[in-house]
Amino acid sequence: MQLSIEGVSKAFPGVQALDKVSFELRPGEIQALMGENGAGKSTLIKIITGLYRPDDGRVMIDGQEMSFQSPRDAIAAGIGAVHQERNLIPRFSVGENILLERLPTRNGLLDKDAIHNEARRYLDLLDRGIDTHTEVRSLSVAQMQIVEIAKALSLETKCLLMDEPTASITEHETEALFTLLKRLRDEGASIVFVSHKLEEVFAIADRVTVLRDGKNAALGEPMSTMTRQNLISLMVGREEHIVNKPQRSVDTGVVLEARGLQTSFGHRDISFSLKRGEILGLYGLVGAGRSELARAIVGAAPITGGEVLVNGKTADIRNVHQALNQFRIGYISEDRKNEGLILTHTIRENIAVTIWRRLAGALGLIRPSAELDAVMPYVERLEIRTPSVEQKVGNLSGGNQQKVSVAKWLAANVEILIIDEPTVGIDIKTKAYLHELIHEIAAGGTSVLLISSDMPEMVALADRILVMHDMRLVGEVANDRRYETVSNAIMNRIHAVEEERSTATAG
Amino acid sequence: MADVPVNFFHRQSHMTDETISTERSRRGFFAGASAQIGLFAIVALLWVIFSTLAPGFTSPINLFGIGRSLAVDIVIGFSQMVVLATGGMNLAVGSIGVCAVMLTGFLLQDAGMPIPVALAGGLLLGGALGWLNGFAIVKTGVNAFIITLASASLFLGAMLILSKAVPYNTLPPEVGQFGRMRIWGYVSPLLFIAIAIGAALYVLYRHTLLGRQILAAGANPRAAEMSGVPVGRVIIISHTLSGLLAATAGIMLVARLGAAMPSVGGEDWLLPSFLGPVLGGTLLAGGSVAVIGTMIGAALVTTIRSGLLVLQVGNFWLQLFLGLILLAAVMADRYRGVFLERRSLGRK
Repeated sequence: MQLSIEGVSKAFPGVQALDKVSFELRPGEIQALMGENGAGKSTLIKIITGLYRPDDGRVMIDGQEMSFQSPRDAIAAGIGAVHQERNLIPRFSVGENILLERLPTRNGLLDKDAIHNEARRYLDLLDRGIDTHTEVRSLSVAQMQIVEIAKALSLETKCLLMDEPTASITEHETEALFTLLKRLRDEGASIVFVSHKLEEVFAIADRVTVLRDGKNAALGEPMSTMTRQNLISLMVGREEHIVNKPQRSVDTGVVLEARGLQTSFGHRDISFSLKRGEILGLYGLVGAGRSELARAIVGAAPITGGEVLVNGKTADIRNVHQALNQFRIGYISEDRKNEGLILTHTIRENIAVTIWRRLAGALGLIRPSAELDAVMPYVERLEIRTPSVEQKVGNLSGGNQQKVSVAKWLAANVEILIIDEPTVGIDIKTKAYLHELIHEIAAGGTSVLLISSDMPEMVALADRILVMHDMRLVGEVANDRRYETVSNAIMNRIHAVEEERSTATAG
Repeated sequence: MADVPVNFFHRQSHMTDETISTERSRRGFFAGASAQIGLFAIVALLWVIFSTLAPGFTSPINLFGIGRSLAVDIVIGFSQMVVLATGGMNLAVGSIGVCAVMLTGFLLQDAGMPIPVALAGGLLLGGALGWLNGFAIVKTGVNAFIITLASASLFLGAMLILSKAVPYNTLPPEVGQFGRMRIWGYVSPLLFIAIAIGAALYVLYRHTLLGRQILAAGANPRAAEMSGVPVGRVIIISHTLSGLLAATAGIMLVARLGAAMPSVGGEDWLLPSFLGPVLGGTLLAGGSVAVIGTMIGAALVTTIRSGLLVLQVGNFWLQLFLGLILLAAVMADRYRGVFLERRSLGRK
């Protein structure tokens, strides 16, 4: 199958996810699709598979323009996919999940034997260890991923899109998958392979397309002409708009320290310290465990070992209420719609939520004027565009919503602020503004732990950068604000750990 | 720091997308308020109809009766409203109410306690049973429906075993006298109690830390928790308050009947308890309350009950009507929910 994407654009509220992106897939090839988090890879996959409809541009199969209304149409046209999100039904068996869209029947009843025999055929290609009768919810994450892949294979489509299929599976299973994909390719299938792992891409892909900020950075380049370095620089790009703040070395007292932290998410040996007024970066790929660590620190998730010290004293933080009121720690969640904001409440209420306690007088009464006085400076300072603070937050644009979720923690006036992906889905102007603000609050003495997958942002903001991979801290990189060297140092650190691990398992 | 230029907002007013949202929110506000005005109009219409069909409907004695029932219905509605605010529910309001009734009766008649002590005892029991509900919900993480369904039966059963279902008929005469007291010829003092409670709740949700925290926890518990709102504590407090209000309604009934009877509460309260708040515009999804709406909603329930009584239409019809009205109210609630959701998504 010949798949061509021509000049496809897609916008979400507040962000241009894809901007005139092209992509071309030939029969009998495996093409890698690469890019940083938020570069638009998953959006492109979702357009090809009919989950999203493009605002502009064309999707062509064998020279014919397609207009998919739903994933069903895409499957009918011969496109199968493994998405990043799981699409399995937990209480159904493995077999039923694999054949969900076309369960075999006999006399109008489900034919159980046929289901399991049929499902077995596809599962055997990857892993003989999974029983097709098991309920999906009792499988491990890796096994679920295998079932997802088997499900996509069972469609027997001529085109297969895999969005980070190896993110959670073992080395061994990855090998089995690669052998299989190569066989399918040799039989004439077209395969798109999305992965953050450079080694895998070099091992399997014939060509590569790179996206950066929703645009093509490379289009179908042969892998043979690529080196690791130029693939990395294609992904991260040259950064034009870095606010070049001079490098700082912060020599103040330590306000937050982690000693050998362990969590139920699987973090091990997490030790670091954050100084007064410092911006400490925490970089890692999606799934590295950064947000989970932040939650554990603010008491929203249990710490199972080690200790957290605030201003030199052991802090047993059990919930955010305590983190805020007793230890003066705040956390700006990356998930602003579900966790950061109450969309059905007003801007005033959303910002004031962290300071109601402070505003409350006798009998817990809050004077409306006091509340307004406390909120307004932040609305103004952050330039939240709204006709009134009584506006429901759900009505604001993404960028303004993000400003509200930052504003409420600025208002809280905490000593330690953990900021998680502050500029995801934010336009460049707001982004620059938020960067300026983060510098400003750090200069004012607030200690910031900055979580970001946005490399330029990391380089522009952090004083030091911790690198996290697979629930562990794997290194620290000093930030001299030189984008190329810092980003290379970070990525090399991550890939070195990957390599060590694969040699360890191989040996 | 508090210096904000007055023209700050006007600067933005030309922006088209925000103007659209303002239109939307204005419509939303009027939709909310107009629901209450509409409800009020329905109540008024029913009064016209009932008083035309049965002249006795507006007689002082009937007005007095309506006022007394209304007072109880309002407080029952409040006892449900305060947990609806957290996005939960309390199916045990009736059981808690009748438990408080029977304890008060016991303290007055068998234990011979002075009236204030007996009242405090009844209220305390209500609060304690509500606290128990809240505690079980927060600690187990099981939803309020199941917990309060179980506790409704548990509390009622325990009460029946302990009291052997024998009513307390010989209470101090002051109790019944208070229930029969008329101000200006036809207004029951119970009604003032209900209105005072309403005023207190209005202040609670509008102007206090706790009220704000309750609404935040109800609208989005996760976001509230991550913003430092002690969501568990807030839920327990709301259930305690619900129990306290249910007990208040129960004790008001004791005054009205001049006796403590085991048959006054239980499941009979369930429908009115939801009708008042839901008709009045309290979202079942939590995060918003309508105190005045709940009072008007309760007025609708009381009006229909009394009207059908005066018209001598059987009790079966009453059940049918109340069921229909709840259904209509829930559909309106659903519509409001969809409407809010659409607005919060900010498009189409």
